[in-house]
Amino acid sequence: MVGEIAHFLSIASALTLTLVLIFNIFFSFSDSHSNQLILSCKLFNHACFLIFLSFGLYIYLAVTDDFSISYIANHSNSQLPIFYKITAIWSAHEGSMFLWIVFLTLWSILFVNSLSSKHPLKKGTMLMLTFIILGFLLFLLITSNPFERILPFGALEGADINPVLQDPALAIHPPLLYLGYVGFVISFSFITAYLFYGDLHYPWEQDIKDWSFVAWIFLTIGITLGSWWAYYELGWGGYWFWDPVENVALMPWLAATAFMHSLFASSKSNILKTWTLFLGIMIFVLSLFGAFIVRSGIIDSVHSFANDPQRGLYLLGFSGLITLISLGIFAYRLPGMQSSKLIVTGSKESFLSMNNILMLTAIFSIFLGVTYPLILESFNGVKVSIGPPYYNTIFSPLILLTSIFIMISVEALWQRGMQVRTLFFAVAPTFLLSTLSLFLIWYFVQIFSLLAYVGIYSGLLIIISYFLKAASNLKNNSYLNKGSFVAHVGLGLLFFSVSMNSILSYQKNVNLFLGDQLFINESVSEFTFLDLQNIKAPNHEIVLAKISILHDGKPIYLNPEKRKYFARGQITSETAIHATPLKDTYLTIGDQLENGSWTFSLQINYFVKWIWFSSALMVAGILMTIFKKKIL
Amino acid sequence: MLQNRKKRLQNFFIVLFLSALGISLILFSLNSKLDLFYSPSEMLSAEIKLGYRIKLGGMVKAGSIKYEGTKVSFIVTDFQTEVPVFFDGITPDLFKEDSGVVALGYYSAGSFIAEEIFAKHDENYMPPELMSEDKINGR
Repeated sequence: MVGEIAHFLSIASALTLTLVLIFNIFFSFSDSHSNQLILSCKLFNHACFLIFLSFGLYIYLAVTDDFSISYIANHSNSQLPIFYKITAIWSAHEGSMFLWIVFLTLWSILFVNSLSSKHPLKKGTMLMLTFIILGFLLFLLITSNPFERILPFGALEGADINPVLQDPALAIHPPLLYLGYVGFVISFSFITAYLFYGDLHYPWEQDIKDWSFVAWIFLTIGITLGSWWAYYELGWGGYWFWDPVENVALMPWLAATAFMHSLFASSKSNILKTWTLFLGIMIFVLSLFGAFIVRSGIIDSVHSFANDPQRGLYLLGFSGLITLISLGIFAYRLPGMQSSKLIVTGSKESFLSMNNILMLTAIFSIFLGVTYPLILESFNGVKVSIGPPYYNTIFSPLILLTSIFIMISVEALWQRGMQVRTLFFAVAPTFLLSTLSLFLIWYFVQIFSLLAYVGIYSGLLIIISYFLKAASNLKNNSYLNKGSFVAHVGLGLLFFSVSMNSILSYQKNVNLFLGDQLFINESVSEFTFLDLQNIKAPNHEIVLAKISILHDGKPIYLNPEKRKYFARGQITSETAIHATPLKDTYLTIGDQLENGSWTFSLQINYFVKWIWFSSALMVAGILMTIFKKKIL
Repeated sequence: MLQNRKKRLQNFFIVLFLSALGISLILFSLNSKLDLFYSPSEMLSAEIKLGYRIKLGGMVKAGSIKYEGTKVSFIVTDFQTEVPVFFDGITPDLFKEDSGVVALGYYSAGSFIAEEIFAKHDENYMPPELMSEDKINGR
């Protein structure tokens, strides 16, 4: 019964949203009739609440183990802790789409109600949001109904959530990522409303600045959490695999980063206006492209959901329509948007636009990397895959150029050119110090890899230039943009630690009997297999190995596990990690051989903690930028 | 006015040249960094250059997995041709007999030296390439 009520509430919401659209498109009174707007907003709010209510009931169904609902029966289990019963909702296509829509609605209702009823863009924004929510709600109800019953009799027991997904980080990774993805619907709808409205002098940047920043924060945390989860759960020791689905998350992230920067330039010096508008549209379009890639089954990836051509077609059609509408109105308004000012060569915004172009190049390269195998297969029938080497080759020159421009822009001023003398005195110390540091690193590490050294150098350039700037500003007691400082140092640290990780980390596979001791290398001098235990948990059994390692003279105890889940018979490995600031000792247990010995894979991963830390720094920097205005 | 136009034309050509350069660099990089995907039959019939990294996909033949120390060997089959695969390392949790596998590595004299073994999240996974070939063969 509750299932039907939840289902009915969603349908009612879709009907209400349709009503809002019809009411405003076909019976549009003149703008002075604000009653129409007030009524539409009320209807819109009610439709949003219907969706929330429906999702609330769905959580209730999941918690109370209603296995007559097909989706819950397939993805949950009565033995699961309550926390995972709830997170099981977004462990597959239908439920995660539902969550996507709930977040879409959440952002929309918050934003629409934050605008005063006299705001000229309120109506347009609300209508665009209504259209997008309705489109996805219909997608959910028509092609992927999470409320479907198993008739006439429900299942007695659920099939269980995929064990690799029974993890706290993964439980909160999709919600945060979706909050980020969907958050850019705000800037998108606002920009399209602005373009429809036609008053191109309206200062639209101020109204969505903070909203975009918050969405960017969610997207960044979401991507980082996914990467962190992959690192400790999958047992491969990597944190980024250039998997198509990772790539489609990175594209909106890059677009959003470029958008944030040009938003600054646009609101500060009234330039790059069209460019900023275009980026604002592109972020959401790329998010939609991501949704299509993941949910259509067109690409085979660890993330992709089951294949269903109908879903792919609907998503492609709907995303295409939204893209067409937004880019169409953009092209229509383009001739009227000639900005009066030109960008001064050598000014801060000139370097900023250069980096914007580089980020767009990065997006384009990723897009090509994702779609090229598809294109090639449909035209030539040749099956190919594009892996890390492609992305590493493309990204290292881009990163170096970006870092050089960032370094120069640290000393540059808004709207004013730079003299060659200032440029030289600003840049020379950074170049000198970075080169010196690079040689020091090479001296200590004694390993050479061109791509990694390009990355390290890029990181050093950014970090050192910002620290020099901070030092000189502190000395002169002049203003320092602390948010920008923290975020950019975070970026530099990211380049640096990713590259250091790639040259220093190594892996050793070992095979030994219970009680054996091995010598691995000078650093890991003793590897002892102490004990093996069998443990029973509610929904799985565990084989736990106890290993002690003498690492750099210090004993470390590691307990990697292998788990067998009863409901699906699936086997997963739990990695044991011992972390120090510089490096992680990372151990996974392999298989037992016929002679009774066991295999283990030992990895020494350097600078992994630093990667998460640098992403935290970037988030912190943006948070400081948001709150700075509030305090001052 | 004429000067202005000349400058715009000049800018246009600079942008055109730079984007052409960029795109050709990307495409060049793409072509040298591709991993071609083969089934066992395709791999044996194709002339693969020595030291050219490829992906081999198929099913792990039942009873063919052999461990020796940290080294694993098994046979990948597409139900027509069989290829022995050698790998040094820990196989993924979903790697088992009679289930799909993708190996990245090098072909050498009738066998395949794998650098990496992939088995997907889904326990019912089968390489889509193989699935389509199954359909063709009416299996």
